[in-house]
Amino acid sequence: MAESTSFVPTGQHRNLRACMVCAIVRTTSEFIKHGCPNCEEFLHIAGSPDQLADCTSQVFEGLIALADPSKSWVAKWQRLDGYVKGVYATKVSGTLPDEVVAVMEDEMRIRYLPRDGTATEAD
Amino acid sequence: MSTANLLNTNFEDESDEEDFNPQPQDASDGEDGGEDEDPSAQIRDEASKRRVEEDNGSGDEGDVNTRAPNDGEEDEEEPGDDDEEDDEEDEDEEEIAGPKRKRVKRDRRNVFLDVEAEVDEDEDEDEDDDDELGEGKNFIADTHPDDLADLPAGGETDDRRHRELDRRREMEASMDAEKQAEILRQRYANKGRSSRGLGESDIVPRRLLLPSINDPSIWAVRCKEGKEREAVFSIIKRIEERIGTKDELAITSAFERGGTQSVMKGFIYVEAQRASDIMAALDGLMNVYPRTKMQMIAIKEMPDLLRVHKTPPLEPGAYVRLKRPPKYAGDLAQVIDVTDTGLELRVRYVPRLDYGLHEDLNAPLDGPNGKRKRAPAGPRPPSRFFSEVEAKKRHAKYLTGNPQTKTWTYYGDEYVNGFCEKDIKIQAIQVADVTPTLEEVTRFSSGGDDGTENIDLNALAASLKASTANASYLPGDIVEVYEGEQKGVKGKAVSIQGDIVTMAVLEGALRGQTIEVPVKGLRKRFREGDHVKVIGGSRYRDEVGMVVKIAEDRVTILSDQNNSEITVFSKDLREASDSGGASSLGQYELWDLVQLDPATVACVVKVDRESLVVLDQNNQTRTVMPSQISNKIEKQRRGAVATDRGGAQINMDDNVKEHGGEMRTGKVIHSYRTYLFLRNPAQSTNAGIFVTRTSAVNSVTAKGIVQASAGPDLNSMNPAMKRNPAGGAGGDMAPPKSFGRDRSIGQTVTIRKGPYKGLLGIVKETSDNNARVELHTKNKTVNVPKDALAFKDKLTGASIDPGTRGGRGGFTPRGGRGGFGGATPGGGGWDGGRTPGGDTGRTPAWGAGRTPAVANGGRTPAWKSGADGGRTPGWADGSRTVNPYDGNRTSYGGGNRTPAWSAGGKTPAYGMSNDAFNAGSKTPGYSGGTSGGDAWGSKTPAYQPTPAADNWGSSNHSGGNSWGSNAYDAPTPGAAMSAPTPAAINAPTPGAYSAPTPAPYSAPTPGGAPTPAPGWGGGGWGAPTPQAMDAPTPGGPQGYYAAPTPGAYNGGMPETPAANWQDDGPRYVE
Repeated sequence: MAESTSFVPTGQHRNLRACMVCAIVRTTSEFIKHGCPNCEEFLHIAGSPDQLADCTSQVFEGLIALADPSKSWVAKWQRLDGYVKGVYATKVSGTLPDEVVAVMEDEMRIRYLPRDGTATEAD
Repeated sequence: MSTANLLNTNFEDESDEEDFNPQPQDASDGEDGGEDEDPSAQIRDEASKRRVEEDNGSGDEGDVNTRAPNDGEEDEEEPGDDDEEDDEEDEDEEEIAGPKRKRVKRDRRNVFLDVEAEVDEDEDEDEDDDDELGEGKNFIADTHPDDLADLPAGGETDDRRHRELDRRREMEASMDAEKQAEILRQRYANKGRSSRGLGESDIVPRRLLLPSINDPSIWAVRCKEGKEREAVFSIIKRIEERIGTKDELAITSAFERGGTQSVMKGFIYVEAQRASDIMAALDGLMNVYPRTKMQMIAIKEMPDLLRVHKTPPLEPGAYVRLKRPPKYAGDLAQVIDVTDTGLELRVRYVPRLDYGLHEDLNAPLDGPNGKRKRAPAGPRPPSRFFSEVEAKKRHAKYLTGNPQTKTWTYYGDEYVNGFCEKDIKIQAIQVADVTPTLEEVTRFSSGGDDGTENIDLNALAASLKASTANASYLPGDIVEVYEGEQKGVKGKAVSIQGDIVTMAVLEGALRGQTIEVPVKGLRKRFREGDHVKVIGGSRYRDEVGMVVKIAEDRVTILSDQNNSEITVFSKDLREASDSGGASSLGQYELWDLVQLDPATVACVVKVDRESLVVLDQNNQTRTVMPSQISNKIEKQRRGAVATDRGGAQINMDDNVKEHGGEMRTGKVIHSYRTYLFLRNPAQSTNAGIFVTRTSAVNSVTAKGIVQASAGPDLNSMNPAMKRNPAGGAGGDMAPPKSFGRDRSIGQTVTIRKGPYKGLLGIVKETSDNNARVELHTKNKTVNVPKDALAFKDKLTGASIDPGTRGGRGGFTPRGGRGGFGGATPGGGGWDGGRTPGGDTGRTPAWGAGRTPAVANGGRTPAWKSGADGGRTPGWADGSRTVNPYDGNRTSYGGGNRTPAWSAGGKTPAYGMSNDAFNAGSKTPGYSGGTSGGDAWGSKTPAYQPTPAADNWGSSNHSGGNSWGSNAYDAPTPGAAMSAPTPAAINAPTPGAYSAPTPAPYSAPTPGGAPTPAPGWGGGGWGAPTPQAMDAPTPGGPQGYYAAPTPGAYNGGMPETPAANWQDDGPRYVE
């Protein structure tokens, strides 16, 4: 992960996917190779195309280039502080499969906040 | 002690904040033997240390060195100083950064002091935030021993001691909680970083995350439209490249909210402390223009930049539009299924296949797989349902499937019931503003196996409802809030700006206030009975009707146009001021007459948004698309008329009534062949239109009915006809037809009336009523009614036949004319011949006239007699016949016919005459007899008294015979005539005629002839006619007559008759 770059050349933009949990955006192959830098612990995307399909979405909007997650208000607002630097999406369509959510919330004690806009409207 | 352990671990945990604190403690622990489990022991420790330090003064450099980095907050003050003071001065000292030794000295104490200070803070936090309880407790625990240590040392701060004690007790009391906290902490520690973020997000609501002035600012930076994403990636690339270098970017983040529909396209937003950071960071970046008008975003607007709207989830049955592949771009598709993630759909759509029809078989194979190169994009095939028959033709090998289930696989795609079903990614479809048209939806609806149409109205409604573009409010609309905090508030829209409606509340607690409400939660409000119009989004657009039912936001209205109930969303309605409704679709309007196929026309009875309902001539209603109409029949045929069953004329807009049936009435709006399209506003079906045949209606409008000519009945005013019905009958008979060439052609005429009145010309052609006359005055041929012509003699210019035409009364003149006739016997004769056609009375005369001319004088008379009877027509014929033939025949003909006339009651006479004719001597006899005496003198009598005729006849006969013989035998009546005629006529004529006749005519031949005419004239009919007739006819024979007649008649008496006949005669002479 560390050695990988967040930059994606234009030609690869059609292969971009966003993690439904943390909204990080990277290419499909990147996900397969390294998984999600923030959520790999419980999503186990690396090497698993099924998990990739379930937990990431190719439908997302609004890219954020996050340079300093700790200082950025944007990161705070998007609840991205604590994540790695990189490119994130403001909105990721799609919902995480229930079983994945269950794993997250029960075992990892992490509350899943959908990034498809439902959460913000609830606020 | 467990507590101590706890404390120790806590210390470690806090290493972040107080890296060096542990050290000294460890050291002290070490010094103390490491087993200082008792806080009090520790405290003592510390206390002793401090004392040592104090004793040393500011010495103990070594210590200082070791601890120097640790304490930034050393005080110069003595350890015995007030802790509070320390607290206050901490910060100052920090900056001053005093010498290390002081630090050292302070160090130990500081540890405590600082810690204590932190304790205070922590305490506050504890109260604020339970979550940090753990940490707070730790600090407390930490400071607590210090305090204890302090107490003996300073002892001045009772207060604090108390507090510390309290805290301690508290802490001890809450050990359980601490343990729990510890457990929690450990748990969370496992998660690592990622979990931390989530944990916080879980806890902190967004409203607490709102930006403050301490947060970096955000600037909007211009960016090339469509390149926003690239720009963001370029930025992240640059960030990563320069990280750790001296050029490290100072920005904290950059983001974009581009997209074709977005209002934020064309910008990227960069977050940084200073604008100059942005300039530095973005300098030289492609597609980003930081130098042009960078705009700082106000703090309160910052959250809006990142606002995310949830995309409404798609439901099976909803309609979407395909974006890809290009072949189907824009086509409607229906969602069958949605995957869990909502990112893939199964849709069905009508395929566009050409089944290899345009396949280029010679296209080069591409690669070993035998894949063909993609055919160049041409016009895409029409969208049609899948047909396995078509597919089998060329591509049987690509087709597999089951005919029973109608499921096929063709070229890897699945086809079910003619639709193509496919899994498709959500990016490849358009979800918003689909607004499927009726035409499209019908294709999906008719998919049922039984052919029944089942449009899923809910799905349709969802698709239509989703399109927000249609929700439009106008000031004055009565609206109701149905969502959100102000739910239930009703008011009137005052102004509308974008998605915000300002409304004046009309009822309820807020009455009188003006509030702003987003369109989203607003709906229009109507009351039952309101007259509304459908304004959009619905296929009922432009329908107008009355609200009859309201349920939620669904309003049922009763359409004005066809009295049907339709249900629409209230947002699609508006108070209607007009009652019109849609009345046209393209070029077709309500009530237009349109042609559906060569044999069918129909009247538009309803106009929908995309279709028309028409009523065809067979009284069937059908729904057609405008494309199915071949053309519109314009209503320009104002003159189009039909006749009703009574034969009366029906015009457009007439009111007619059905005869029988339902006795419907209506106004004619179209008539087509024998069909009438009628409109009855009272009828609700078919917009009041119904169809009938013209033969099934009666016109009920007086207007427009053309009355038959309403002039006085001339026949009834004609005494002669009254008195003599027989004659009348004759008069009523159709005018004889003229055969062959119209004799008036080539005649010189003057025009008696009309614009050309008075002009002279020559008749060139004729029709029944009109003649084309070539004018003498200018080179022009004009159409003139025949009755406006007066015939003139070519040479003399004398009028020839007007008499004939004119009334009977005007015969006298004829006498004169007769004279003329003499001159132009031929012409006169002709004219006369024709004219008679018109007038009974005359004809005979002419006939007579002619006959004589052609034939013998002997016959002529016979004709005359005929004339009296008023059988003219008959005679006329005869007379004509004569013309072609010779007198002989004519007479016969006449004779033959006469019988018919005789039927009139004159029979006897006629019979006689016939006899006479037959005999050959008849004519004279009759003429003499009939005309001369009875007939003319007192016409009727002549006839009536058959006996008289008999008498005459007898005499006549005798004479006749003699005559006849002569006459017939020798066509040249001349000679013959003279002899008999006199004889026959002598008796009667003399009396009446003798006198006049001779006189006028004497000079010529039987000048007497005309004379009689006058005499006759008095009689009326007979009189003139003969003359006229005679006059010309004789023309020819003149010579004969002249010679003979005179000769014969010279005596006077005898002549007269002759004269009669020869009336003509004389003329000739003339």
